Amino acid sequence: MKIKILRQMSPHSEPYWESFDYDGLDDISVAGMLDHLNYNDDIINDAGEKTTRIGWECSCLQGMCGGCAMVINEMPALACETFLSNLKGDTIILRPLRKFPVIHDLIVDRSSIHENLKQENVFIGEYQPVGSEDHQHQYDAAKCLKCGLCLEVCPNYTNGKTFYGAVFANDCYLVSARNRERAKDILKVYGEHFGSGCSKSLSCMDVCPMKIPTLASMAKLNRK
Amino acid sequence: MKEVLVIGSGISGLACAVRCAGLGVRVLLVSPFPSERSQSVMAAGGINAVTDEHEEGDSVDCHIEDTLKGGAWLGGRNAVTGLCSHAGEIIRYLEGIGTVFSVDEKGRPLTRAFGGQSHKRTHYCGSATGKQIVSAFVMEARRYEAAGMITRLLHTSFHSALIRDGVCYGALLFDDRKRVLEPVFAEAVVMATGGQNTLYGKTTGSNQCDGYAAGKLFMQGALLKNLEFIQFHPTTLETAQKRMLISEAVRGEGGRLFTVENGKRGYFMEDKYGPNGNLMTRDVVSREIYAAKSQVYLDISFLDKSLIEKRLPEVSDLCRKYRNIDISKEPIPVAPSVHFFMGGLAVHLNHETSIRNLYAVGECASMYHGANRLGGNSLLAAVYSGFTAADDISGRAKSGISPDFSRTIENENEALARMFRSKSSFPGIYIRDMLAETMHKYLGIVRNEDDLKKGIGEIDYYLSVAEKIRYDSSVSAYANYSLKAILTLARAAITCAEARKESRGAHYRSDYPQCLDAFSGSTLISFDSGSYHVWQDREKSYEN
Ligand SMILES: Cc1cc2nc3c(=O)[nH]c(=O)nc-3n(C[C@H](O)[C@H](O)[C@H](O)COP(=O)(O)OP(=O)(O)OC[C@H]3O[C@@H](n4cnc5c(N)ncnc54)[C@H](O)[C@@H]3O)c2cc1C
Repeated sequence: MKIKILRQMSPHSEPYWESFDYDGLDDISVAGMLDHLNYNDDIINDAGEKTTRIGWECSCLQGMCGGCAMVINEMPALACETFLSNLKGDTIILRPLRKFPVIHDLIVDRSSIHENLKQENVFIGEYQPVGSEDHQHQYDAAKCLKCGLCLEVCPNYTNGKTFYGAVFANDCYLVSARNRERAKDILKVYGEHFGSGCSKSLSCMDVCPMKIPTLASMAKLNRK
Repeated sequence: MKEVLVIGSGISGLACAVRCAGLGVRVLLVSPFPSERSQSVMAAGGINAVTDEHEEGDSVDCHIEDTLKGGAWLGGRNAVTGLCSHAGEIIRYLEGIGTVFSVDEKGRPLTRAFGGQSHKRTHYCGSATGKQIVSAFVMEARRYEAAGMITRLLHTSFHSALIRDGVCYGALLFDDRKRVLEPVFAEAVVMATGGQNTLYGKTTGSNQCDGYAAGKLFMQGALLKNLEFIQFHPTTLETAQKRMLISEAVRGEGGRLFTVENGKRGYFMEDKYGPNGNLMTRDVVSREIYAAKSQVYLDISFLDKSLIEKRLPEVSDLCRKYRNIDISKEPIPVAPSVHFFMGGLAVHLNHETSIRNLYAVGECASMYHGANRLGGNSLLAAVYSGFTAADDISGRAKSGISPDFSRTIENENEALARMFRSKSSFPGIYIRDMLAETMHKYLGIVRNEDDLKKGIGEIDYYLSVAEKIRYDSSVSAYANYSLKAILTLARAAITCAEARKESRGAHYRSDYPQCLDAFSGSTLISFDSGSYHVWQDREKSYEN
């Protein structure tokens, strides 16, 4: 099996493609496969040349931390949850998420997600729940990994300058549900940075590893 | 205004930062990755507390006794009393900042029992307790970030503390992007760097918890405590990428452990310990599984499928996803794996270490859990310890002016630059793998003198090699500079295990199977220019 990876040594260097031959198990995740490629004295590419270890990021290795989000065969996904046996063809193409600056190989800088939320004051403050009917929905929204997959696939999200994507909308929903005093302010920033720019392709929901019902968050915010 | 440096942004670091900010203390919160990537998000099962709505017959006293007993009477009564008597308040606080706890139709909190508990008092949030608490704390921290009281520094790792004459004045931090060490001076430094997983390679937890910070501070003079007590979780599932935790909740819901002999199931825990045998403490269950002659299975398939999906969705998902096992139809093959470290930096009741103004909270501190932690008590300890340290820091008079560290800083930067200039064809990360093998082999579930001595010999050899290893540019700079301290920590852990010639809690020695009064004190260990000194804290000068 060929593994083709879009690599980049550092934030300011040029990206380039490099391929590797993989002859291990196929009953393994992309994360496990990357570990396998890296676990050698010398890392050799498919042209037989010595190269460097492949940079990628993970923490939990079981779909709970979102660290290993990347683009796998053109689909944004978590590497630890994508199994080789479920991928078609005999070449796997890996690239870093495109909507964030690359730090090294498959590692990107996702700090803009937090910066946007912070800048717009998306926090609960004093807890004044609106009601208990939203319990399951709140639980689901709070599962957001901040992995960035929803932004990768979103046709409206480009560089995060004005439109902040589903990750922003779900946190807005959480605040509005838990503090009715702040709901009005939050609705305003939600409108500015999500509501007015979302074309409802809803591809964000398809790729969300936590299956967060963003549409329901939108519906509740739009109703307010 | 006082400024505090908090290193690590899991639940304990977040709790400390938020509490400090609320008390008017400004915080610099440092971690290589955001809180969403910390191990805290992986905690699934729950957090213990006796609240006003407690189960009939339960009380804070019962929680205290269970914790002390579970820890084989090594934990300090005052420490544990503080922890358990604040637990109810902590649950209310967590709810207040928006943690979505599971409740029944009437809105009353749902609870379950973990092993070693006399009553159901583990509060949980579906199958994602840690994640829900982290999400709530992240929002709360954001509120203080927006107000300028908390500043987050990402892509940054701890390198060393700035210590002079037993007082800490700040820390040197490594910025992964600039690739230099930068000093940060602060009124207090709080370590919240989690457990020591990577001593054992892949465990149930996060690979960010590598024990480096504890190892480095030990080399800089901080005392470590109870390192020999390492919790093996009895039920984990082998997968190609790691050992995955099968939550104790499965046994809490009635799950039964068995082996198959001559085609017949033998429910060995129930046979030996009675009907509640499956819910014995983790150390007991792990040893029994270890002693079993054939593959051990955990069965929950007798429970209604809809109940399984409702109460144990993450276990069901995980088994299906990673091993194609349908737990409503077939049993789960399980084996024990390293899961939690009761040992760590020795701290006093206020969570200050043996170095003044240097605090440790969460799993990197050794406190409350004695020789064995009860499930659900570590999330509680993470929050409580973070709050306790913050309260102590805010109540203290401002400390004096820092001495001049410019020479130290220059020397450390030069050493780092020298490391960058050297080149190696032998990847240092192999030594980490060799270390993991040594630790599994010699500091596993059952220990003995010969093995421990062999382990010490092997680690001493790795340490001698580590001195000579040059820079491996194909892994992170942090992975390079952290090696020696990680090895030193491992050496300290094995040394503590060798010194404790008895069996207690998670420390089981086949050559000394009895629990002995002579070892009823915590183990303390210090480091001085390559030599390790171990003694028992008979005066209970740390945890009492
Ligand atoms: C699978 C699993 C399930 C669990 N379930 C439960 C449960 O149900 N109930 C319970 O009570 N406990 C549970 N635990 C234990 C519990 O999760 C931990 O004890 C707790 O989360 C520790 O929190 P912490 O803040 O101390 O550390 P962590 O959450 O591990 O955070 C450590 C932080 O330190 C940072 N860090 C590490 N090294 C450095 C460095 N050198 N420089 C800078 N930063 C650094 C990390 O990036 C991270 O931000 C579970 C553990 C696991 C592995």
